[in-house]
Amino acid sequence: MNAVIEVRALEKRYGRVLALNGLDLDVADGEVHGFLGPNGAGKSTTIRILLGLARATSGRATVFGRDPWTDAKDLHRRIGYVPGDVNLWPNISGGEAIDLISRLRGGAADKAAYAARKRRLVEAFQFDPTKKGRAYSKGNRQKVALIAAFVTRADLLILDEPTSGLDPLMESVFEQEIRRAAGEGTTVLLSSHILSEVEQLCDRVTIIRAGATAETGTLAELRHLTRTEVAFVSGGLTNAQLTSIPDAHDLLVDAGRARFSVDSDRLAPVLSALGALDVQGLTIAPPSLEELFLRHYGEQLDGAGAGAAPTGDASAPAVSPRHAEGANRR
Amino acid sequence: MSELAALLRQRIRRDRLQLFFWIGGTALLALFAATAVATTYGNAAERDQILALAIQSPAILILRGLPQGGGLDAFVFFEIFTYLALLAAMMSTFLAVRHTRAEEESGRAELIGSTPAGRTLPTVATLVHGVSANILIGLGVFAGLALGGMAVDGSLIAGVATTATGIVFLAIGMLAAQFMRTSRGANGLAVALVGLAFLLRGVGDALGTRTGPLSLASAWPSWLSPIGWAQHTAAYTENTLAPLLLSATLAVLCFVAVFVLQGVRDSGASLIPERRGRASAGATLSSSFGLAWRLQWGTILGWSVGGAAFGLLAGTLSSLVQQAAASDPSIQQSLQSIVGSAGSMTQTLVAAMFSFVGVLAAACATQAVIRMRQEEALGTAELVLSSPVSRVRWLVDYLVLGLVAIAIVLAASAGVAALSLAASGDGSVGAGDVFATAAAQLPAALIYLGVLSLLFVLVPKAMIAAGWAFVAVGVVVGNFGGLIGMPQWLRDVSPFTHTPVITGSTTDWSGAVWMAAIALVAVGASVVLMRRREVSTA
Repeated sequence: MNAVIEVRALEKRYGRVLALNGLDLDVADGEVHGFLGPNGAGKSTTIRILLGLARATSGRATVFGRDPWTDAKDLHRRIGYVPGDVNLWPNISGGEAIDLISRLRGGAADKAAYAARKRRLVEAFQFDPTKKGRAYSKGNRQKVALIAAFVTRADLLILDEPTSGLDPLMESVFEQEIRRAAGEGTTVLLSSHILSEVEQLCDRVTIIRAGATAETGTLAELRHLTRTEVAFVSGGLTNAQLTSIPDAHDLLVDAGRARFSVDSDRLAPVLSALGALDVQGLTIAPPSLEELFLRHYGEQLDGAGAGAAPTGDASAPAVSPRHAEGANRR
Repeated sequence: MSELAALLRQRIRRDRLQLFFWIGGTALLALFAATAVATTYGNAAERDQILALAIQSPAILILRGLPQGGGLDAFVFFEIFTYLALLAAMMSTFLAVRHTRAEEESGRAELIGSTPAGRTLPTVATLVHGVSANILIGLGVFAGLALGGMAVDGSLIAGVATTATGIVFLAIGMLAAQFMRTSRGANGLAVALVGLAFLLRGVGDALGTRTGPLSLASAWPSWLSPIGWAQHTAAYTENTLAPLLLSATLAVLCFVAVFVLQGVRDSGASLIPERRGRASAGATLSSSFGLAWRLQWGTILGWSVGGAAFGLLAGTLSSLVQQAAASDPSIQQSLQSIVGSAGSMTQTLVAAMFSFVGVLAAACATQAVIRMRQEEALGTAELVLSSPVSRVRWLVDYLVLGLVAIAIVLAASAGVAALSLAASGDGSVGAGDVFATAAAQLPAALIYLGVLSLLFVLVPKAMIAAGWAFVAVGVVVGNFGGLIGMPQWLRDVSPFTHTPVITGSTTDWSGAVWMAAIALVAVGASVVLMRRREVSTA
């Protein structure tokens, strides 16, 4: 598979602020790639560089093998883009804005086919195209950019937190459209901090933090790094019994239930121990991306104190320093 | 009370620099005018000669004021007061809209409206803030004139009249904000009313009747204008505050209407509702130039109407001036000596009118480039630049738009001037001369286009303020520099100083060539530099 986006050691400096600090990102042809990170991690900066709107301070970024800063115009023929914060022209209607963007991209040449696609999307997103730009709410402005991105077939869709402001119903329409585009062979870079969306849609995920890549891999690979949550009724069990459970992390008893987490690949001995204790009301929650995300996000919050090594795993995404982090978990 | 204080503090904090320049600039203009007139026209015979000419020349009356005799102080009032009132009026309308409709449009008013301050208190705060600013600008005018050696009592009257004019237009601006859905619309309406007030006053003065050898009483149109009322205080001669009762009455009526309307409408709503848009785009919206045109054509139309008004003025006034000159040949000599040209009366008049048309064209070009920065700052430029439109192409589209805008403004005013000259039966200036005069304004406007483009590429964050400052400096130094006695080297700073004056066969085009060359270099440099510039919203 060819790389559609290839980013190596990307740095972007705004004055004294280092917005990107050695970011790596690979997006293969045809995949839906999740791009995760807390606010200010550098997601939008990366996307602006990929679109040729901003220039990298150092490092390399290519899209379809070309430099977006110098070849922006040609690349943009193949790219659909949804900004994180969509702003519209105050006196131009939503329908007009969609038409304008599509025409600029050359996607409205076949008028009948274009009109049919636009009509379908306008209905699917329940969008009123006749209001002036200034009259739309945030969610409706977002719909303008989404419809404009989906109405013209693109080889690459770059979406910067595209569902912010959408209600759950519209989020599911969005997911359908992403699947439809991916089915047609479109590569998608989906920046988000809505984890369920990424888990549902993405083949691979890159998590960034403080301008650098923290983790990257398929969902299965990343799940391997996360822990399964276990909980059961604590009544009738002594503390000694509870602490005898092997590999239990962060054990606590609260409101009559004992909870702990366990490395996903260490579940078997835990299960037999629980069976021996004959625990009641057992729930085992699957590992989620959210946990992985929170681990990085949480670390950033804690990073200032307790001698944690916040950047320790940035360069070694595959093997996490598990025990050092254990101290930091709540 | 504490809420009102908080809202006032916020307004003062936000406006402190802007109002400092408005008030300080107006006060300095008053001071310069007073001292310059005293040194340039200290001789009573000279003043009498100019006033005798002015009374015969409606164009001069429209652009100055109402002659009230040859006294030095009255002469200063005649020369400068209408502009002082105009500045107070502009300051006030912008202030009114900035703190009312613009806040509602951006959604910030909602944030304030959800606090105990409520929907109405911000409007009260704007009223108090605006009145305070106008008291300060009145004090500034008083101080400027008095320090310039004018009589203290008359200066005080002039200051009060300036304040009254400003407050009337504060009220009008706040009322416009009630009617219009957008701050652009409200500013447009309010500024158009300021222009109308200035024009009505000018027409009233131009059609005035003689009350003495060197004084006029204005005709009725002047009594329809708040600037006219202020002028009728006749500071330094009659010194009467009575006409300001009209100003006070109108202001109170407008303020009452503002609060009644504010009380019955929803936050963010307007009395003139917004029309729905089209579901699909027309053929214009197919390119980045089409978008730029769509965004800017209303503004271009506005400046063109202004230009056409000056053209009409030039055409219709010429016959009046011809009649006056026919009855008294000395008038033509005097007018020629003032303008410094050997052309005919009509040529001189057309040249004088088109010097203002040139300013309109330059301002229109300035706005086209500023629109580009506004698009960038709003984030809508990103939607265009993430499509197959290169940064350079985008810049060039706006520069072409600016060029088209200049051409339209100049063509509209030249066309109207030529038609009205032909209708008046004045054959001394042909349509060709009129269009040549209009074309002579092109290079100065191109300078604005080029320099603003360069500012946009190099210092985007500062370019809007810098662009308007450049226009203001150009006008004050270029068009009024002579009046307030600026030295020639300073007047040479303004592009408008170098605009060729078309008078027969002896026109000097060297200034135009230099300006066109500079503009071309600036445009070329900005295109080259744009290749390396990032898109920045901040």
